[in-house]
Amino acid sequence: MSDGPEQEQANADGDDAAKKTAGVVDRRRALMLGAFAASTIVSVRPAIAQAAGSVLNCEIPVPDRSHAGQYIAGDGRLVPADTPGSFAPPGRPFTGEEVKRAMKGGSLPGSSYEQNQAYLNYIRRLQAGQSGFTCYASLQMPR
Amino acid sequence: MPRDPLYIRVPESELVWHPLDAVTLVYHRRSGQTHIVMEPVPQILSVMQDRAMDAPAIAARLAEDYDLPQIDAVHIIGARLEELAALGLAERVSPGQADGAEGGP
Repeated sequence: MSDGPEQEQANADGDDAAKKTAGVVDRRRALMLGAFAASTIVSVRPAIAQAAGSVLNCEIPVPDRSHAGQYIAGDGRLVPADTPGSFAPPGRPFTGEEVKRAMKGGSLPGSSYEQNQAYLNYIRRLQAGQSGFTCYASLQMPR
Repeated sequence: MPRDPLYIRVPESELVWHPLDAVTLVYHRRSGQTHIVMEPVPQILSVMQDRAMDAPAIAARLAEDYDLPQIDAVHIIGARLEELAALGLAERVSPGQADGAEGGP
């Protein structure tokens, strides 16, 4: 965290936005709004040791709602339903806590070994703007 | 038709910003919480400055600087404003409280 004068903090985001608009690409940038239901905020509580009820309770849908009905291949890609070797989506979103445990070598609830690998590979491929990305990103933070 | 709700964000002096690749960390001094946010949240807070605005006004202001790709931009921005209010980063104000408020078209 920067802790400079307030004016500097006030300008930090504006400067960043200005660089993006005035910089490399000489045209207006599309603002990535995401989906209506895809929250773009995860909060971390102050005490690092008990960090983040909200982080661990955040949810990662597999797949996100805009791809509902698609299956998940072993490498995490989304494929049409009933594609051989792929897996049906889990019945509910996973919580941050469940994903965190699975990444440490546990398994996601209700998943076979192969399903577990496929779902985790899907989660690892999440990118900014997809539902569950901020939740997954927050699990990467050391605490 | 009911008006879109007006929101005012917390003063800039209460926030510490730290851009971090695809996400931005915002530390809120008063609550002691760090929020991990991504587009369009930093941009929304940036255009709100210190006056009460509603979602259509924020969308119009953002459209000056960015292409807003989706037709339901106002609804998405409205949903993010509700989240910001729930976290204490913005406050919903009644029209009577909001002198000089900027409403959308």
